[in-house]
Amino acid sequence: MDIFLERLFDGVTNGTVYAIMALALVVVFRGTGTINFAQGEMALFTTYIAWALTTQDVPVWAAALVACAVGFVLGAVTERTLIRPVRRRNDMATLIVALGLFTAFNALAGLLFDSETKTMPGLFPGGQEDYFAVAGTRLYFDALGVWLVVAVLIGLVFALFNRTRLGLHMRAVADNPESAALSGVRTGRILMLGWGLAGIIGSLAGILIAPLSSQQLSLTTMFPILIYASAAALFGGLDSPIGAVVGGLAIGLLEAMITGYVDFVGGALQQTAALVVIVLILLFRPTGLFGTRQMERL
Amino acid sequence: MSLLKVTGLCAGYGPARVLHGLDLAVEPGEVVVMLGANGAGKTTTMRALSGLIPHTGTVVLDGTPLDGLGAPEIVAAGVSLVPQGRGTFSHLSVMDNLKVGAALRKDADGIAADIDTWCGVFPILARRAKQEAGTLSGGEQQMLAVARALMSRPKLLLCDEPSLGLAPKIVAELFEVLGEVNRTQGTALLLVEQNADLALGLASRVYLLEVGRVVAEGDADRFRGDESIRRAYLGL
Repeated sequence: MDIFLERLFDGVTNGTVYAIMALALVVVFRGTGTINFAQGEMALFTTYIAWALTTQDVPVWAAALVACAVGFVLGAVTERTLIRPVRRRNDMATLIVALGLFTAFNALAGLLFDSETKTMPGLFPGGQEDYFAVAGTRLYFDALGVWLVVAVLIGLVFALFNRTRLGLHMRAVADNPESAALSGVRTGRILMLGWGLAGIIGSLAGILIAPLSSQQLSLTTMFPILIYASAAALFGGLDSPIGAVVGGLAIGLLEAMITGYVDFVGGALQQTAALVVIVLILLFRPTGLFGTRQMERL
Repeated sequence: MSLLKVTGLCAGYGPARVLHGLDLAVEPGEVVVMLGANGAGKTTTMRALSGLIPHTGTVVLDGTPLDGLGAPEIVAAGVSLVPQGRGTFSHLSVMDNLKVGAALRKDADGIAADIDTWCGVFPILARRAKQEAGTLSGGEQQMLAVARALMSRPKLLLCDEPSLGLAPKIVAELFEVLGEVNRTQGTALLLVEQNADLALGLASRVYLLEVGRVVAEGDADRFRGDESIRRAYLGL
């Protein structure tokens, strides 16, 4: 029972981070029609910025806010200057630009912050003694903190989509860009804000996961998370924010349980095992659990 | 002064030019219909006028040139298009569709009042307010598309083949409402329509298009009465 709870907590923690990264991918996909493969590396870059600020004695919360602001600007500027000019041609061009950005942001992070592994301070107390006992298992404050931040973030994103005018316009552009423009919605501005919003969400994912990751903060920290997040978004349905959240949690839990309980799947097969399950599910439900749009665009 | 004055309009898609110097005008409160065979450039005219595709030539609304403006700016100027086919947001609720139609307006009370007005004119929208637009029938979706376009309070409403694919009874109902909007709100209408008889019943003036130009224009009565024009151009 103890070991089960431990795996459950691990799974939920990783799952929530995958969930918000997947949410960032979904926000971009709904507007642009492609997966932004650079999302993880953009998040890596802003997480490095947060780390650099903490080495200058900036409190970690303030550093996180700055990183989120940089993430917003980075996302918005990327959409305006690199994605919009190629978007009209076709989706493949967008994909290629995103792949280019993937390597560019990774290289830039390496150039500015070198390839040494950094220790990113957590937003929450992460000491050995900072835990609640839940049925004899330790639930650490830093894990619980991640759950809370993610829960609040998801609540905010859903409120934005469903309760505000901006969110309504974002949904309209995702649904039918032409009719949105004909209604007076400035679709370009909405797409730019969407990329900016994804930049904020991604930054937060990076800042939350880096202190907990076994890799700490290094140039390869975000890549596996992007893979899981892409799988989570696909699993939940690429155009569904609820799907991203459910998909992220499902993958986090699958990963923790499969590696925990299936002996022959050691650390090396960990990623593969979770992905195999996703592939199996997608075989039976190609649009994902909550997806609506036809996926021919990919 | 004309509400809309179009002079020498040229537009197309990439290298394919569709309009070759089209002239037309719509007076305030007038209902005008464009007739013509497939490929004459009716839809292209609508898309150029609403800023969806670029054009050369001049388009002036109420004395203000619209040339070079994007679709949202043209809506702001007072021209709203009901596009051909799907003009709704199929995954948004009927209510949200109407709200998006008011995207440029800041008067929350006025928006709520207009939603009430159009739900009164199209009772089906009130009954289906929470339903996703994609679950509505074709006729209901067209009513929603018209109401959505009217939510911006346009001076000029463009309708691109509103009758397309709809049952005759629904089409008659839709045209009745368009006439009512024109009479009660004073909104000028520029229609593209295949159903010439129906359009001639509503319109006061007609433009006849052929390969990207206006080849004839006149009072709707004259077109209704003139057998040779009817046979030559309207296929009646």
